[in-house]
Amino acid sequence: MADATTDATTDASVAPTSRPRLDVQGWSCCAAAAAGFVVCLVGWLRGGATVSLPWAPTLGVRLDFAFDGLAALYALLATGVGAVVFGYGARYLSQHLADHGRPRSERWRFWPWMALFAVAMVGLATATDLVLIFVFFDLTAVCSYFLIGFDRERREARTAALTALLVTIVPAVALLAGAVLLSATYGTFSVPELVERAEPGTTTTVAGLLIVVAALAKSAQVPLHFWLPRAMEAPTPVSAYLHSAAMVAAGVLVLGRVHPLLARSEVVLTVLLVVGLTSIAVGGVLALGRDELKQVLAYSTISQYGYVVTLYGMVGAAASGAAAFYVVVHAVAKCALFLSAGAVTTATGEDRLSHLGGLGRRLPVLAGATGVAAATLAALPLTGGFFSDELFFGAAKEQGPVLVVAAVLAAALTFAYIGRYWMRLFLGPTGTTPAPLSRVLVVPVVLLALVALVVGVLPAPITQLAEDAGAVSHAAPVALSPAYHLDLRATNVMALAAWTLGGLLLAVTGLRDRASRALAVAGDRLGPRRAYTASVLGLRRWSGRVHDWETRDLRSSIAAVLVPAGALAAAAFASTPIAQAYSVGPISGTDWLVLPLLALTGVATVVAARTRERLSIVLALSAVGFALAAVYALQAAPDVALVAVLVETMLTLVFLAALARLPGTEPRRESAPRAGRRWRDPVIGAIAGLGAFAVIWGYLSEPREAPSVSADQIRLTPAAHGKDVVTVIVADFRGLDTLGEITVLLIAAVGVATLLRRGRLWLPRPGRPGARRSSCGWSPGSCWDRASWSPSP
Amino acid sequence: MRVVARLLLGPSVVVAVALIVKGYTKVGDGFAAGMVVGLAVALNAVALGARGAEEALPVLRHAPRVAAAGAALALVSGFFPLALDEPVFSHRPGPDEKVVSVGTAELMTAVSFDVGIFLLVVGVVTVLVHQLADPDQEHST
Repeated sequence: MADATTDATTDASVAPTSRPRLDVQGWSCCAAAAAGFVVCLVGWLRGGATVSLPWAPTLGVRLDFAFDGLAALYALLATGVGAVVFGYGARYLSQHLADHGRPRSERWRFWPWMALFAVAMVGLATATDLVLIFVFFDLTAVCSYFLIGFDRERREARTAALTALLVTIVPAVALLAGAVLLSATYGTFSVPELVERAEPGTTTTVAGLLIVVAALAKSAQVPLHFWLPRAMEAPTPVSAYLHSAAMVAAGVLVLGRVHPLLARSEVVLTVLLVVGLTSIAVGGVLALGRDELKQVLAYSTISQYGYVVTLYGMVGAAASGAAAFYVVVHAVAKCALFLSAGAVTTATGEDRLSHLGGLGRRLPVLAGATGVAAATLAALPLTGGFFSDELFFGAAKEQGPVLVVAAVLAAALTFAYIGRYWMRLFLGPTGTTPAPLSRVLVVPVVLLALVALVVGVLPAPITQLAEDAGAVSHAAPVALSPAYHLDLRATNVMALAAWTLGGLLLAVTGLRDRASRALAVAGDRLGPRRAYTASVLGLRRWSGRVHDWETRDLRSSIAAVLVPAGALAAAAFASTPIAQAYSVGPISGTDWLVLPLLALTGVATVVAARTRERLSIVLALSAVGFALAAVYALQAAPDVALVAVLVETMLTLVFLAALARLPGTEPRRESAPRAGRRWRDPVIGAIAGLGAFAVIWGYLSEPREAPSVSADQIRLTPAAHGKDVVTVIVADFRGLDTLGEITVLLIAAVGVATLLRRGRLWLPRPGRPGARRSSCGWSPGSCWDRASWSPSP
Repeated sequence: MRVVARLLLGPSVVVAVALIVKGYTKVGDGFAAGMVVGLAVALNAVALGARGAEEALPVLRHAPRVAAAGAALALVSGFFPLALDEPVFSHRPGPDEKVVSVGTAELMTAVSFDVGIFLLVVGVVTVLVHQLADPDQEHST
């Protein structure tokens, strides 16, 4: 494919103003994915491997990776399809950026996420620890957020990105909950160990349901399917990758990984069956009526993953193997279809079936390759799709007549919508005349179509892969034997029935379109998307109200801190026994010095509260601080006292500096405070003050020997070559904490710099020679241009 | 006030050094020392104005680098044991080993960690003073 980069466009008149420069990032991603594919292939042929490293041993979380059949299948998909898509994207993205007048540097917002997407997918495929699976699961969602929202100046792209993120990440929490539930019962997060230990029962059922919810949301199954069609706002390579090998595949991957657990509960299996069949129907019927190319394909994806979910809902070796086989074939076909849709849109500038047609005469190669991909979905012979449907029918046959009928109807629906798509696109009268296409945009489609054809003739390698993957999902060896049989066996009859029905559906256009439109309208009226929108809007309104209430003015902000603090103290006060907890001890020794200092604090506080002059308030406050510092010093806490004095001095200084900048006159009150307001501040202050008072008094009444840690630290201080316990604790015993704290300091400085000076830690004074050198801070990070990084909702 | 501010800078640095050096045996540590120097800088800024202070003390413009160096030093002091296959913050010399000391100052990695904190605090406080003291600067460059 490398030579294809050199001829970027065949016709200069339609090329963008200048030939786009080679997309180095894109091609290196492509090369890396191809290399990853080879590594995965070698790894699979060698029989796989497992890696297990401790991660959080106290929680029983391990970095468990296993390169088994299932991992091999999805890793090969992620890297193989990835290589093709990245190659396509290297050309597509340049054009996309040029069309939208965006700088070439925007590639940096694209390729790292794509690469991370692939890595997360491989990680998810190989992970066998539920917590690890959760982490990679969310990582793919985060990547998809940035990729779907790549065209961040468009509102639709931003909302689509947010929808995809919310709809997949919120249910992902259920996966974590299920993992914790299983681990609490069986003491491990590791999937293979859980498979050994878990017994059928309520726990397994509930945990299985939780995991299934997360996986189904990810795989865009009804009723959480609505994020997928919206995600079509993404650039085409992203859609292609998302649908075939990443994001959406992640859901069924998780299902395949934990399937031995799910198979222990009838309820879970029934849920999978019902959801899968519903998704096939809803996705298929909606795909029949859509006009936009990518929308048709998006609903098709929902329907196709419905097949896989249905297969996981059936128990049996045949079903598990068929699911794995189906995923591979679908990934190849769907990726080709998406890339071809992107090519068509690039060539014609149109993305609606109603404006397109007759492209087969102008783009015969693309038409042929797309035809093969469509035939694969429609399960015609000589394509891999025939075998995947043969296996699907075979698995359904074992489950009884209901599923046989459902399977035939599903296949007929698929045949109809993909047939309609292809025929509207490439046959009939010419809609929009296409411009000549870059070869880089066609070659990947042809390549994938060839793969589909090869699988249709020589299914053995994929069968082997699917058997290995199915063995993991089924927890027992799986044998598949896809082949052509020229007789009237059940699967062949079912296929014939599906084609006939599909052909009929293609023929009766009027009824079909009306049914599809009716379902679409009903879905819009009553569908889950409406509930989603309502809940997001409701949450936003609620959040806005809380925010307004909390930060209406400075007093509200302070009250928002003080009142809960006081309330918590009061709750603790109410719930602990107070007998003898509050005692007045004897007064002796240095206490006689402490008392006047405390009295001074009290007086200063009252002054600060009553006085109206700014300077007096500041000075009174600092008097409070210094008096308290003196109390610390007397209470044998000299380190604290030292820091208190220093911080107090700094605060006073800052206050004074701030005062110097204020306008000279005191602000006049616009109107007298309302009656309610007058009492609000004292009440808030009293709640917080009483709470703090109760806590401190309770603590001082019972100066217990602090439990072991402090005593140990004091004992060990000489061994650490120190005499000052506090310093030794800070620098040695709790060094890591300190490191975290000083990092916060640094971050605070960077934050202030970002807010005030666009990220510059130090601005040179104007007109000073030589000052320019230091205008940037200390790291490249401090000089970033503050363009927003993310598509904000 | 200006005179005082200038006069105070020298002694405050001395006090800070003393705080660190004696830190491991007496009261005080890197944070307190850093605050002392930061205070001196802030006092200068208040007395002379931010611009004036920076003209009087050109060294200040290295503050971001000082902060970064402090963070790096603290990080290295904390994490070097990882290279030796020990838990983080296993300071050298270890317990019960002899420590080279100069006066009351002991040369060990815990103290260098403390110095890191000191540098970081000084740098950050100076940067903050610089940022906050002169908010009208936004459009001047």
